[in-house]
Amino acid sequence: MASRILHFQDVELYYDRVYALRGVTLELEEGETIALIGANGAGKSSILRAITGLSRIDSGSISFRGERIDGRDTARIVEMGIAIVPEGRRVFPYMSVKDNLLMGAFTRRDKAEIRQTLESVLERFPRLQERYRQVAGTLSGGEQQMLVIGRALMARPQLLLLDEPSLGIAPKLVQDIARSIIRINREDGVSVLLVEQNSRMALSISHRAYALTTGNVVVSGGSRELLNDPRIKDAYLGGAA
Amino acid sequence: MEQVVANGIYLGSQYAMIALGLTLIFALMNVLNFAHGQMYVIGGFVTYTFYGQFQMPFLLALLMSCLTLTVLGALIEKFLFGPVIRRSAREESTMLLAAGIAFLLDAIILLVFGEKQRGVPKIVDGVFNWDFRIIMPYDRILICALAILSIVAFITFMQFSRTGRALRALAQDRDAAQLMGVNVNRYSMIGFALGAMLAGLVGGLLVTITGVNLGMGGPTSIKAFLMVMIGGAGVISGAIVGGFILGMLEAVGLAVLSQYGDITYLVIFVALMIFLTIRPQGLMGKPWG
Repeated sequence: MASRILHFQDVELYYDRVYALRGVTLELEEGETIALIGANGAGKSSILRAITGLSRIDSGSISFRGERIDGRDTARIVEMGIAIVPEGRRVFPYMSVKDNLLMGAFTRRDKAEIRQTLESVLERFPRLQERYRQVAGTLSGGEQQMLVIGRALMARPQLLLLDEPSLGIAPKLVQDIARSIIRINREDGVSVLLVEQNSRMALSISHRAYALTTGNVVVSGGSRELLNDPRIKDAYLGGAA
Repeated sequence: MEQVVANGIYLGSQYAMIALGLTLIFALMNVLNFAHGQMYVIGGFVTYTFYGQFQMPFLLALLMSCLTLTVLGALIEKFLFGPVIRRSAREESTMLLAAGIAFLLDAIILLVFGEKQRGVPKIVDGVFNWDFRIIMPYDRILICALAILSIVAFITFMQFSRTGRALRALAQDRDAAQLMGVNVNRYSMIGFALGAMLAGLVGGLLVTITGVNLGMGGPTSIKAFLMVMIGGAGVISGAIVGGFILGMLEAVGLAVLSQYGDITYLVIFVALMIFLTIRPQGLMGKPWG
């Protein structure tokens, strides 16, 4: 039986008394890809901020492999094996592609093995190999997206968080990115938590999904079923209810 | 002509190091360290104490300057700037704090080292003379070489070490760096200590040429700000370029303008103001790179 890698229990989070999450419970099994879908402001990004410790939760608990991580420092959480592809890509714009990738391995000390991971990442994204010495800020949006995914893989994470990886990317490249997410999950066995506004894409590459509206999980279930679920429309058109 | 260029390079090498420390601190923490000149003065006095008074080897005294300022910088970051940045929403708070620290350090310098001008014995004797085209004492050449060596070492460290990479990442995108596992508090402290160390190192180098006194802190800070404004705040290359430009301007000014009186810095200030209205971000203005 697969074990639970991430567990949210009744998590509440508010910014200046405005609720971002009101009692969210969700879980992720090892080896699974789950999607969080919902409109802007539904709380998807707040969930990621809560996991990575950039925002402190106000009640409830978050566990990673059975260990509480809420309240810990971001650096400590990342070290435990959680990597994130942040929203808006967030490459280090004045650093080379190489240095960006090496930053992904910041928590690792094993030089030889970092080298190996670097080679496998460059193999997976040949475009990054071509741009290896180039400054990251000069890459195209799609290339930057590959770079931040590669950077996250450099940490050899057990859990990969992706925040809107398709945002602002040309439609053709969205498919490439979707494919690489599938590969990361299937071939590397990394559990994936995918946050997306592009619900169709998200549902088509995930095992299960949670639909959020204004800080609540309103529908959850197998992604294939949800794709045909009439309620999903309401949920991801968002906020109206 | 050759003489002016040589003087400019000599001055520029010292200035660039001062500017590097200031710009590092600015890029990392968005702090304008008004106390940078005082840190430089402390570096000078520490080398004076160990080399001039205790007659220890010069390089050892220099090391003591670096060490003192590293520790001082780390403490100032950990107990003063760090908490203020975390708690305060207003950026002016750190500026006021920096100004306060400048006064505090001035007072400490007065208390510990006194108000007298202090000098040390020459580190090497003799004068280099190239056909009367370039005349420069050997100690200046040595100090200049040490400064350039330090700059190269600093850049190499920032460019190729794991810590340097983390510092650059932190300067470029704080949140993203944190998400890579960079401990912001620890690396802010390391960066600040490193910037302070550079100030102390130049202070220790220059005490052998110019001596040191309490009053040098403020003017040194002002020069450091000039260089950073010329080159562009928060950029390594900008600090180096700014340092060498100011050094060169000063050398040219002393050679050309001194016949009209002590107006070199007047001219530099006016030129800088005009320059900044045209290019407010400085020559290389962009975040840390």
